[in-house]
Amino acid sequence: MAQGEIVAGFLAPHPPHLVYGENPAQNEPRSQGGWEPLRWAYERARKSLDELKPDVLLVHSPHWMTHVGHHFLGVRNLSGKSVDPIFPNLFRYTFDLTVDVELAEACCAEAAEAGLVTKMMRNPNFRVDYGTITTLHMIRPQWDIPIVGISANNSPYYLNTKEGLGEMDILGKATRRAIEKTGRRAVLLASNTLCHLHFHEEPATPEDMSQEHPQNYDGYKWDMRIIDLLRRGRTREVFDLLPQFIEEAFAEIKSGAFTWMFAAMGYPEIPGELHGYGTVIGTGNAVMEWNLVKAGLTRGGGVLARAG
Amino acid sequence: MTVVAAFLVPGSPLPLLKPENPPWGRIAAGYQRAGRALAQARPDTILLYSTQWLAVLDQLWQARPRVAGLHVDDNWYDYGDLPFDLAIDTELTAGCLAASAAAGISAKAVDYDGFPIDSGTITACRFLNGDGRLPFVLTSNNIYHDWAATERLGALAAGVARSAGRRIAVVGVGGLSGAMFREAIDIRDDRVASSADDRWNRRILELLERGDVAGVKAEAPRFAAEARADMGFKHLAFILGALGGRFYGARIHAYGPVYGSGAAVVEFRL
Ligand SMILES: [Fe+2]
Repeated sequence: MAQGEIVAGFLAPHPPHLVYGENPAQNEPRSQGGWEPLRWAYERARKSLDELKPDVLLVHSPHWMTHVGHHFLGVRNLSGKSVDPIFPNLFRYTFDLTVDVELAEACCAEAAEAGLVTKMMRNPNFRVDYGTITTLHMIRPQWDIPIVGISANNSPYYLNTKEGLGEMDILGKATRRAIEKTGRRAVLLASNTLCHLHFHEEPATPEDMSQEHPQNYDGYKWDMRIIDLLRRGRTREVFDLLPQFIEEAFAEIKSGAFTWMFAAMGYPEIPGELHGYGTVIGTGNAVMEWNLVKAGLTRGGGVLARAG
Repeated sequence: MTVVAAFLVPGSPLPLLKPENPPWGRIAAGYQRAGRALAQARPDTILLYSTQWLAVLDQLWQARPRVAGLHVDDNWYDYGDLPFDLAIDTELTAGCLAASAAAGISAKAVDYDGFPIDSGTITACRFLNGDGRLPFVLTSNNIYHDWAATERLGALAAGVARSAGRRIAVVGVGGLSGAMFREAIDIRDDRVASSADDRWNRRILELLERGDVAGVKAEAPRFAAEARADMGFKHLAFILGALGGRFYGARIHAYGPVYGSGAAVVEFRL
């Protein structure tokens, strides 16, 4: 088996509003649109993902929070209806997804080998969390690429940010080893919002964009500072600032997906491509891509070579 | 009398999912005794607040006449599924929604097929209303509500029941000390994670047994901070609100560990 590799990572936040705004057949509620700049950002990301032709999408979601270790979806087919507990008026989505169980098991084993507590989720009735589903729908609405779903261990909240993100770093590196050993061509999805300060009431028409703007100016400035650094490839600086950003902007990246993804990619100092930024009920959301093929960081086995 | 019974019970599904494990079986047995006491009080409706039903925007009230389905816990999926089938007292719920708004607490009805019912609500409903005879008023834990706001919610719900002439049982679902083991343990040897947590739990239970309302209210913030009490122990605030800040003592039907955290089944003497 050829050695696998990570071909790209995406910052791919999961406000259910984006699915609601798009009106896909799988979602019950109907909207008049809304949050277009973010949805169009995802359209650009979809195109890019399509060109990458990955075998698998790995997603780390803050809304599957586990206490005892890091868990991995371990059932080949999972389906059902996911209703967002905070925005049930916007998100009631019928999902049906395929899990790359072999890769999930490899990730689980590698992370355990690295000293983390890990577990495979084998219950066929398990309801996949709305963060995972929203991110996956927005990046690949066709649902034709197998996935690996990874829980967010609550260590950044239960212990502290530093120790918790330390675990996510180990988890990311283990994920990379598993991808390499199983020969997969993989794309990573960090399902995280940036500044997470939000409004406490929804407009009567949720998609009324005259009501949508950053909830907090300092939080907005933080988002711009982080995105600016990411666009310039100053990854180390971003990670130095991360604890302060998390603290002051209440950033959802505290839950670990962003750190997991960058650790798996080896914290490349390459410019991230901003597909778009927008607020959702006041929170800051960026869709960004780190394309390791374009950056020449893959083993020359990029899309062209593969197509040839 | 409007409130005819009141209970503080644990939200962990472990005693329901695996009662054959002795430490969890003892909590399950306590839960069953509480269920019998509840039935004897002959309420019309059970008013239930669960710390695990997290709300962020509004105060949410379950308004669907019947909620049924199968839930799988995010953490304890290995131990089986949690089927549920609950009747909702929609009239009382509508009253609570209106009363919340009148009290300046923005509130919303939840009436959606497939809305996720939390493990704590299901566990308490299954133990306390095993035969499915009684309807419920179910409400959420808004993470931005403090102790006082939560007390107001309990009070307004009891007020609505009083106006409607209902006899209600009040149930606050949540744990005691919150520290859990973070690795695999031999569940037969489950214990409260630290002796400091155990002391805190016992101190709080003693205050409840004595009916020392002022004492328990005074200690709650420190209990929350030092023993990571589940959600600031707001489930007690909800109960106290519904009881008008008064009870005369309590019977501890069970106290023990669920994966390191503290759990107790408490029946209040009214
Ligand atoms: Fe989120």
